Amino acid sequence: MTRQSHAAAPADDAAGGKLPLTAGVIAMTNLQAQIDGRQRQIMAGQQEAADDQAELIELVALRGEILSRISDYEWAGERAEQLTRDVPADGIAFITRARARGRFHRFTDALADLDRAQRLGADPAVVGAERASVFQALGYYDAAFTLYEASTRPADPDYLGVLATLHAERGETTVAEQLFDQSQDRYRGVSPIPLALLDLRRGLMWLTQGDLCRARAWFDAAVHRLPALAPAQGRRAEVEAALRHPEAAITRLRPLTTSSDDPRYAASLARILRETGKVHEAAEWRDKAAKRYDELAARHPEAFADHAAEFRLHADSSRVRLPGELPARP
Amino acid sequence: MSDHGSGPRAFADPVADITDMFAFPSPQRPGTLVLVLDVFPFAGMSALFSDAVDYRFRVRPATLAPEQDRPAFAVSEKEYAFSCRFAAPVEHDGGQLVQEGSCTGPAGQVARFLVNDEHGGQAHGLRAFAGVRMDPFFFDGRKALETIVTRKLAFAAQGSSVMFRQNVLSIVIELDVTTTFGTGDGPLFAIAAETVTTGSVKVRLERYGRAEIKNLLLLTKDFDTVNRDIELRDLYNQEDAFRLGPAYSSAYRARMNANLAFWDGLDGKTDWPPAADGTHPLTEFLLADFMVVDVSKPHAEDSYLEIERTLLRGVPHQTCGGRSLNDDAVDTFLTFLINGGHGARISDGVDQGTVPASRMFPYLAAPEPNPPAPKAPPIVAR
Repeated sequence: MTRQSHAAAPADDAAGGKLPLTAGVIAMTNLQAQIDGRQRQIMAGQQEAADDQAELIELVALRGEILSRISDYEWAGERAEQLTRDVPADGIAFITRARARGRFHRFTDALADLDRAQRLGADPAVVGAERASVFQALGYYDAAFTLYEASTRPADPDYLGVLATLHAERGETTVAEQLFDQSQDRYRGVSPIPLALLDLRRGLMWLTQGDLCRARAWFDAAVHRLPALAPAQGRRAEVEAALRHPEAAITRLRPLTTSSDDPRYAASLARILRETGKVHEAAEWRDKAAKRYDELAARHPEAFADHAAEFRLHADSSRVRLPGELPARP
Repeated sequence: MSDHGSGPRAFADPVADITDMFAFPSPQRPGTLVLVLDVFPFAGMSALFSDAVDYRFRVRPATLAPEQDRPAFAVSEKEYAFSCRFAAPVEHDGGQLVQEGSCTGPAGQVARFLVNDEHGGQAHGLRAFAGVRMDPFFFDGRKALETIVTRKLAFAAQGSSVMFRQNVLSIVIELDVTTTFGTGDGPLFAIAAETVTTGSVKVRLERYGRAEIKNLLLLTKDFDTVNRDIELRDLYNQEDAFRLGPAYSSAYRARMNANLAFWDGLDGKTDWPPAADGTHPLTEFLLADFMVVDVSKPHAEDSYLEIERTLLRGVPHQTCGGRSLNDDAVDTFLTFLINGGHGARISDGVDQGTVPASRMFPYLAAPEPNPPAPKAPPIVAR
């Protein structure tokens, strides 16, 4: 069952914000400029430390998260593997690889990397926070909570955001809302990226709860701050479809099928087209999505086998999945 | 590195991370002061300024105050501010993003320009440029780090600058001294640069007065016996350059006392004997963290800290002070800290930037457009 609340739209409050934020287009241009600059620096041989390589890997992974580009995650994963070969005695290499493996749901391998990083003398607080994020992804919320508490400063906005997401995933929406608010209030930067990602997670919380209006408002807030944030655009489209606005959903999804290499958008588009009676075009997108899911499931079975199977299960159904049934991946 | 990555906040968002500030009389036009503010270390060619940040210079009349217990600068409350702001970019044909900017002077005059247009914009004694340029800073930062870790001077005769062939986002202002300041103020001015949020709620993100204050004197915690686990640089960045707040001043003093004593001792002797309570004689002087320039003197390329050093010695200064783009400011600063000018000049082994700055507006060398050919070195552990 879905609920449609008429609570005040958070998008206005959130996007209005107390502090001004850099325009999303500048933030994305500058993320690319950071990547280009770091690549130049490394190619010039001016920065050869593992930290600098790790920073470049994390920047590319962040771009992948924003644009839903699995190829960026794959690049980050390959470079992280190389880093562990180049500097096998440096803990940062194994922390970086743990993050990369976590992105593809290789959680056991990620935990092993974090153990190794700890043995190599990496900062225990950093290792603890990374271990907590793996436990969170596995659904071991109590263990994750304990580790976060031990490894992070309570007043830190990033920590508050992580806690908010933890409570959100446990369905504790009241506490989560308070923490999301606190995290946003304590943010003192001008980059829209952290806040847009926070809005996305807040929207996902309400989507999971079946509150489509609240979810839509937070996805709107995320998109307002960072129009390039593909997961927010994609979720927003799925909410529109669930609210019986399929044309708006289709318009929103089409560009994502080319800007992103994640098949979820093609799959969503196929489902919605099929529901609106555009059977032939739906079949084309379904085939594209199926082919891509097969590729990804073969390369990254831990992350994509379930999604691929689920897609196969629903691909020929005319029923549009309701938001509460959406897979957990943002 | 001068002020590159000077705190966790700077690392989180380089668009507001001040890497450097320069202030010098124009080499070609007497009576013209040039101010340079650089942000965004290791910027790619596509980098843009934030539309949520006010990139500011604050200029205040100053006088020498040598008669006090500790020589110092007396800085006026009167302030001349230069505020540079940028719009969200517009996409032109071909998908290129074009960004407009403006610099508002203290009399309200506004110089408008397009980012990366070398001609810049002009208005009533004010000329402004903003765009990607080659980073003029040079310093063997890795050897500085090695010095801190090994507690021995690690600089080599031939150093290697981390900033070699790297780019930054730069703002360059030329201002006519008479038009801007009239005849009542000067010739000494104290200058600071800031990045501040726009809008009704102002948050100071970064500020800059002198090179390496944060990264050489506030970053290292090892020698600080009072606060061994606190990162002070974000707090320090939020302070008013001309009015240090009381909340964290004791923490800054403790950290500076400890780190100044470390640098002083690297040559095996103490040139700056501390007071009985451990206070280093340079701590208060450097906590007044702004650059001092004499606009009545001609351009010079080796005048960094000359006004400060002569003030401490009780003799008149001879140069414009400030800091020009080709000045080897780090060598000057290291020598000042380590031997107080009582010995040979301390060098980091890097004596100039990738491409020396020109004598013409906008002074900084054009950016490095393409990545250099890879050296393919092995990645080394930290």
